[in-house]
Amino acid sequence: MIFQKASPRIALGNSEDLMDGVAEAPNFTDDEVETIVGPSVHVEGDFASQGNIVVKGSVSGSVTTSRHLTVEQGAKITANVKAGSARIAGEVKGNMKVKESLELTSTAKILGDIDVKILTVEPGAALYGKLTMPGVDLGEVKAMRSGRGAGRKAEEVSGVAVV
Amino acid sequence: MYVYIYDNFLRQPKHASVVKAMEVRLTDYGIAGKILRFNNYTDAKPIIDDEIKRGAKTVVIVGNDATLGQVLSRGATCDCIFGFLPVGPDNSIAEVLGIPIGVEACDVLSKRRKERLDVGWMNSRYFVSQLHVLPSKVEVIYDERFKVSAQDKMEVIVCNLKPFYWKSDPKDKVSRVVHPQDGKLEAFLRPLTRKRWWGYKYEDPSIFPFEEMEIYAKEPFTVEADGKTSKEIKVKIKLARNKVEMIVGRNRKF
Repeated sequence: MIFQKASPRIALGNSEDLMDGVAEAPNFTDDEVETIVGPSVHVEGDFASQGNIVVKGSVSGSVTTSRHLTVEQGAKITANVKAGSARIAGEVKGNMKVKESLELTSTAKILGDIDVKILTVEPGAALYGKLTMPGVDLGEVKAMRSGRGAGRKAEEVSGVAVV
Repeated sequence: MYVYIYDNFLRQPKHASVVKAMEVRLTDYGIAGKILRFNNYTDAKPIIDDEIKRGAKTVVIVGNDATLGQVLSRGATCDCIFGFLPVGPDNSIAEVLGIPIGVEACDVLSKRRKERLDVGWMNSRYFVSQLHVLPSKVEVIYDERFKVSAQDKMEVIVCNLKPFYWKSDPKDKVSRVVHPQDGKLEAFLRPLTRKRWWGYKYEDPSIFPFEEMEIYAKEPFTVEADGKTSKEIKVKIKLARNKVEMIVGRNRKF
């Protein structure tokens, strides 16, 4: 772009007054939406962005962002996902590695392993895969699996889970 | 020394008063200079180069978005500082640059607040405002990493300086606007889906910031960039950083 300085006042908004071809200041959204994959658009390959990503269409390959990923209802990702944080309302087929928080809404469907720090799951979300969270001692997990484990600070789930 | 490039539409009587007032204001500030008239068929580069040889340091474009695009797309490589005095309608870039429309623009020009601006590079020419690929069956490759495609036709708009206004339906009264972001070019892709009986309907746009992209198709497609239209089969678009030095206003949006 022609701009050098970072500006948080970016992205989509409505402009109600376009008189004389001169636009009034639009209603900027506070969200720094940078990349939007619209509906009926298909993205193929290593899809990476340094900003927020909103997926409404379909993506295959891999998805990487250091910031927030939003997968809207009806969207489909067939890829391994790496994100800073994420909110999933669509379908993801692939492993997910989320640095901070992951939110699965009631329409979310995940087929793959999840590695996340904080997980929020709404009733109705479907998950098939292994869930790994930091702070769990591997020895403790092994002990738990062999039936000797008592306390369970974090969970590791295998199989189908419909919450 | 200042050189002023006036667009041809400024000859219209309705703009005479504004232009006169501007000339008076510029004389007051002591920055009046040679005036050149510009029309659609004039190539700005040789004209600007000639004036630079004669000692011009600042070239001021007087007109609207189309004038700015036409002059800067050719004159981007010229070694001078550019100014802009917006007059009349179709001046959305002026707002982005923080330059008021009309006589007040002279105040911004006199303050000489300079910024180096990036411009877009398409095949063999620069574009400043916007590049528009009319709806056709195209595919887009971003930064040689991922490919974007749609089921049917797709419209592509690459914004550099000019914001992108769009309506999801032609009957919509409210236009939506997407403002350019910093440091990268932005591509807006609007796929078209077939209506039930005939015609096409626009889908919501996808937005991808990028530094390099390639648009290609099996059949030639129409590309409009800064008022110039051409038929292409493959277009490579890049960002040329810090290409143009321009006088901007304090209220600029970057």
